[in-house]
Amino acid sequence: MMTRRRRLLASLTGLVGFLALWELTLRAGLLPGALVPLPSAIPAVLVAEINDGIWQTMVFSSFQHYGIGLLIGSSLGILVGVCAALLPTFNALHAWLARLLRPIPPLAWIPFAIIWFGITPTAAAFIISIGVFWINYFASYSAVEAIDPGYDEVAAAFGQVRLFPRLFKITLPAAAPGILGGLRAGLGQGWMTVVAAELFGITGIGQRMMEASSLLATDVVVVYMLTIAGLYALIDALFVSIQRYLLRWQP
Amino acid sequence: MNHHAQPVLRAHGLAVGFDNQSVLTDVTFDLPAQSLIAVVGPSGVGKSTLLRALAGLLPPLAGTVDRPPDSDPGTRPWSMVFQSPRLLPWRRVRTNVELGLEGLALSREERRQRAERYLEQVALADYADRWPHSLSGGQQQRVGLARALAVQPKVLFMDEPFSALDAITRRRLQQALVDLRRQTPAAIVFVTHDIEEAAVLSDRIIVLGDHPQGGPAHVRAQQAVELPLEARRDHSGFRPLIQEIEALIRTGPRASTAYSEHQANDTAGRFSRPYG
Repeated sequence: MMTRRRRLLASLTGLVGFLALWELTLRAGLLPGALVPLPSAIPAVLVAEINDGIWQTMVFSSFQHYGIGLLIGSSLGILVGVCAALLPTFNALHAWLARLLRPIPPLAWIPFAIIWFGITPTAAAFIISIGVFWINYFASYSAVEAIDPGYDEVAAAFGQVRLFPRLFKITLPAAAPGILGGLRAGLGQGWMTVVAAELFGITGIGQRMMEASSLLATDVVVVYMLTIAGLYALIDALFVSIQRYLLRWQP
Repeated sequence: MNHHAQPVLRAHGLAVGFDNQSVLTDVTFDLPAQSLIAVVGPSGVGKSTLLRALAGLLPPLAGTVDRPPDSDPGTRPWSMVFQSPRLLPWRRVRTNVELGLEGLALSREERRQRAERYLEQVALADYADRWPHSLSGGQQQRVGLARALAVQPKVLFMDEPFSALDAITRRRLQQALVDLRRQTPAAIVFVTHDIEEAAVLSDRIIVLGDHPQGGPAHVRAQQAVELPLEARRDHSGFRPLIQEIEALIRTGPRASTAYSEHQANDTAGRFSRPYG
């Protein structure tokens, strides 16, 4: 068994080794310098972007698209997913529609997003919400579907038979682990679509990356790639701590 | 116990089963107030299904059940203890016991006091703030019992509540139930496949079994138990009672003595052949 400290050390060695290898191959002239930036040059570029105020603007703007898209996609996904699992008629009504729409990737909605909303933050939020919706929809549907029917008997034996008491005392808490799992997957999926949704000109990280790449400023591209990675790690860590608190009843 | 009181539950000509197919028919009995009736029989005979029909969780295929009316505010007419405790894992022990009280005319404070009182009755007052998963199987089942008692039911249905526990814990909980019966006015229907358990706990035993002519199972016999509840296992009448119940279960065409001897020989033959 590896101790925790040794594992941490190994992971760190892997990362530093990768960066060192990257730096050395470039300096040795084994890779053309115009295509890949020097890792050691990245921090200076980040500082420059922050000093120019570009970094803050882009991150703030992307965060807005992300936040709104996530909020709408997650809440609708959970609502429709839970209803589909609880109400057989609703389930039958929408089953084929869901099967039809599900395979369409979020990015395929870009033409409609532009036609309906123009090149606006709303369009970006709309595209983000689509991917997030499906993840949460399927996660909550299967979470509710998988609830032990024994709990329904408990509800019936102890007078909690009406829809709302049962929903809040049995169904939602029982399905919470699955629903929270869907939310977490949506957090990642959201960031993936943010960049793509902004590539066609809506202010944000994606637009800035597109701009930089057309000027062959690969160092700027890498700065924003790392920005996304950092923001995602932060949000995911925050979410996991909330999730742990909500599910503290689990063994 | 007062056996002459008005019954709190009456089943008449009850048939239960699935998909209109009866597994058990013609169950008729009265449950006197404060009494405990044990229902015994082999697995698959429909004991649990019968219990659910008595509680109204499943519609019977035929016959009627008269359950106590929902008349006292702050109580429920019946409640149930399940085979696996089925506590809600996302609630602490105290709020698990409060589940049945929610929706009744009780303040938050009254609910809390009631839950604590019944946790004390099952000797788990110190565990009120724990999560169910941190309790042993026996403790969880005691919480299940407190949850059922907290609604102060007139009838308590118990579905093999101790069968998943180890032998020592099972004995302890049986004794705890004997003690509890002095403090609770509830009448109890207790389903079990354990004849000894039925004999230790009950005032009357209903024996279910296959019908001699085939078809759905039926009530083989109803046997009154007139031994004192205290230290029943040590009573001279205890062993004979068990033998009597065992005989009632054994009689019938499919489980006759001749049949079991034949079966024993057959089994012996089957095991000896590959090595012989």
